[in-house]
Amino acid sequence: MKGPNVDHGRRRVIQAGLASAAVLVAPRIGAAEKNPIYYGVSGPFSGDRAAYGAVWKKGMNMAVDEINAAGGINGRPVELIYQDTQSDPKQSVPVAQKFVDDERIIAELGDFSSAASMAASPIYERGKLVQFGLTNSDPKFTQGGEYMFSTAPTMQMDAALMADITLNRLGKRTAVFYQASDWGDTSQKVFVERYRSQGGQVVALENYLLNDKDFHSVLSKARRAEPDVLVLFSYYTDGALLLLQAQDVGLKGKMLAATSCYSNKFLELGGSAVNGTVMSVLFFPEDPRPAIQKFVQAYRQRYGEAPDQYGARAYDAVKIIAWATEHGGASREGIRKAFISGQSIPSLLFGSFKFDAERRVSHYEEALITVKNDKFVYFH
Amino acid sequence: MLALLDPLITGLINGNAYALIALGLSLIFGVADLVNFAHGSVFAFGAMLGWYFAAVLHWPLPLALIGVIAATALLGVAIERVAVRPLARAPRIAPLLSTVAVSLILDRVSQLIFTPDTQVFPDLLPSASFHLGEIRFGLTDLTILAVTLTSLAALWLFLTRTRMGRALRATAQDRDAALQMGVNAGRLEALAFAISSALAGIGGVLVGMYYRNVDPSMGFAAGIEGFAAATLGGLGNLPGAVVGGLFLGVLESFGVTWFGGASRAMIAFGVLVLVLWLRPGGLLGSPNAGFTEPLTGTFFGRGRPVVLRDWQLALILIIALGLVPLGANAYLLRVGTIIAIFAILGVSLTLVAGTTGLMSIGQAGFFAIGAYTSALLVKSQGWSFWLAMPMAGLAAAVAGATLIQPVLKLRGHYVAIVTLGIGAIVVAAILNLPAVTAGPLGITAIPPPRLLGQEIVSPRAYYWLSSALLIASIAVVVRLQRSHLGRAWRAIREDEVAAQASGVQLTGHKSLAFALGAFIAGVAGSLLAHQYGYINPEIFGVDISVLALTMIVLGGMSNVTGTIIGAIVLVGGPELLRPFGDFRILSYGVLLLLLIRFRPQGLWLYR
Repeated sequence: MKGPNVDHGRRRVIQAGLASAAVLVAPRIGAAEKNPIYYGVSGPFSGDRAAYGAVWKKGMNMAVDEINAAGGINGRPVELIYQDTQSDPKQSVPVAQKFVDDERIIAELGDFSSAASMAASPIYERGKLVQFGLTNSDPKFTQGGEYMFSTAPTMQMDAALMADITLNRLGKRTAVFYQASDWGDTSQKVFVERYRSQGGQVVALENYLLNDKDFHSVLSKARRAEPDVLVLFSYYTDGALLLLQAQDVGLKGKMLAATSCYSNKFLELGGSAVNGTVMSVLFFPEDPRPAIQKFVQAYRQRYGEAPDQYGARAYDAVKIIAWATEHGGASREGIRKAFISGQSIPSLLFGSFKFDAERRVSHYEEALITVKNDKFVYFH
Repeated sequence: MLALLDPLITGLINGNAYALIALGLSLIFGVADLVNFAHGSVFAFGAMLGWYFAAVLHWPLPLALIGVIAATALLGVAIERVAVRPLARAPRIAPLLSTVAVSLILDRVSQLIFTPDTQVFPDLLPSASFHLGEIRFGLTDLTILAVTLTSLAALWLFLTRTRMGRALRATAQDRDAALQMGVNAGRLEALAFAISSALAGIGGVLVGMYYRNVDPSMGFAAGIEGFAAATLGGLGNLPGAVVGGLFLGVLESFGVTWFGGASRAMIAFGVLVLVLWLRPGGLLGSPNAGFTEPLTGTFFGRGRPVVLRDWQLALILIIALGLVPLGANAYLLRVGTIIAIFAILGVSLTLVAGTTGLMSIGQAGFFAIGAYTSALLVKSQGWSFWLAMPMAGLAAAVAGATLIQPVLKLRGHYVAIVTLGIGAIVVAAILNLPAVTAGPLGITAIPPPRLLGQEIVSPRAYYWLSSALLIASIAVVVRLQRSHLGRAWRAIREDEVAAQASGVQLTGHKSLAFALGAFIAGVAGSLLAHQYGYINPEIFGVDISVLALTMIVLGGMSNVTGTIIGAIVLVGGPELLRPFGDFRILSYGVLLLLLIRFRPQGLWLYR
């Protein structure tokens, strides 16, 4: 019983070895020039966070179509393999293995939540497949291994910046609302420490759970503390709801929200209640830089709406990976090498950048914006 | 003064919504003897439909409300026809499971129709606000109150003044007696579903108005809150449902005001567990309600058992777990590993729910305790995995033996809701104890197990480790089931009174089963932590406890073979259905519904 099985296993290994050798050799022979280049995307395309996944798809598909319309990468078209994980680690772990085993796939994008991304990291690390985190602002994400890269500013950087903006531009009595999540909790701590050390006063500090829909209780309580500024470490859905309900309970003040609130959905959901909210953002469609304008117009034409930061980040991520493929070679190691050695990687959001020792982007510029008449405009 | 009035008003308005949901759940429970897990989804569907009528079609509020009532009532009848009535003769657990499937389908269909986005509920009323002293009321608040009161009054009139209402109450009170009197119970069941679903729909619209937003996946949490409210008031007791809803709403509101939003679940479920501990029948239910419920034994179906001898089972297991890896690729091994880990969780519940008849929906809590204990011991204290894993089991067992105390006096559905509460409390405690558990941050870089100086990381090695532990836990459970102890547990399951009369000590035996189950769940948690390398409280939600229960129900409750098949179908299913793309989760729901429809007694019955 045992013998044939082992033999069978060996044969498979040999076949697999031959197949991969063929892939390596093929480009040189020239016969397989038209073989597509594959990237895997692991993300929430159904379930509670499907809304984010849907925007990812818009940005990514657009980037792929642009690359392919321009002749692909060295003549080879790009294809994305989407796998839905609902951002559930139970599903992102097998998907990671699926991608690692699929020799055609030379880079991976995602996942969305910390739990889903970081549970999958060890598998990508051992499979020597670059895991490119679009939205992973948790600093521990890139500490997961040598193959984890992220262009998302870390929550520490964001939160410190928000403390400075609040002090310098908004006021000295603040009510802070934050998600009880890894991101919300870390951000809140950084913010409060920096804000207090420079003379600000945090008069209310209230947490809530990601899927909470009702904030009346915490808001009424904050109202009694009479803050001048409301600071939100929220995603756009909960952020907008919080401000809507703040209006209902009569809580007023200047408002500053984390960059994750920067989305058309925030305006749509919040309506007049979010007017005046200030944010510091990496991407702003009215940014006059030509590259951004070109992207915004193309996106508008294609989808009939202005892109938000999730769409822009998703688009940029595919473009950055494509650059690495072109410069490091269409292989897993090639992409990592290009990322490590690239001194000026072109991108939509960061201009030309390089990855620092943490495999993150350390220098970037943000724009201060605010909501005025149900629109995002520059904040002066 | 204001500090007390604000949360009170917020709580009462929220409580209104809970009351509407709880009322429907209680009505269905009374008439059809079933906890309807699809109820939350109907609520969410009603909310989305209300949004569609008001925001897209620009209907005024009364018309939108009528539209939603009509649509959700029809939906309720459809659910009853498709998922409940065909199972009338099946074991009582079957329709419960099929409503879980309906809930999955409904949520996904709603996402496909309305998109998964959160939508703003339009201002249907002028945003006037009134001041009464220092208290603020919005016009919306008053409307919500008025609509709820009107619905309740209409329901009350219907139930007390009409022939059909009387028949409905009679069926709820005593189904058999009502049948004897010539009541058409089938038609009444459909009616109960229609009324309940319409109430849920109304609740959805009101919540949309109050929260100012709706989204298709808001149903699960609402369903759980409604279930808690209904139990709090006494399952099947309609005034109790209203009181329970209001009570829960006010309680949560004060809790959140005083202890922060992250403590909501801990407070809600903490009080629920406490109330049921002191008053096993709920606030308005008779104190003995827990005892008049039919015995747990009736949960189990009769069917032609598959006879499988030990050596056959052992052979199948060895072939499946030992030889499969030789032919499978790494992806399948990874799926297999996850299935094996969740199968161990299922096996732990087999002992508690299957053998002893304690319908626990809290197993994720012990899973979490095991995962955290093992991760912290290995990472921070430098323990070996091989020592940390049994410690993880032990910690979970100690927690299990302690936390089960409030459950000991309860039966049937009350056990289910209290264990649900225990699971939620454990996870909320992990979230709110950041000094030990890192709270919401979770634990990163959990080292993999090491054996003879080698890290166990490859898909094959981890698969073998997980399946070896699965086999070990199966061996332990099967051995226990066949021991004298196992017979005592089964006696408790079949008839507590008879068991006690024959000298079986109830509390000790139940505690032991719960502790042993928790031990095995803790070991599964340890395996999960070291496979993921990262854990946080999100991973151990109520959905995991429901998954564990679904697994064993699908497998036929009390046998480990069935549990493993359940794990393969439920955990492996979503993976195998990947080719269906956008329709993956939808087809998973349909598959589940069909499995229950045609094999209601569970996939596998074993002697």
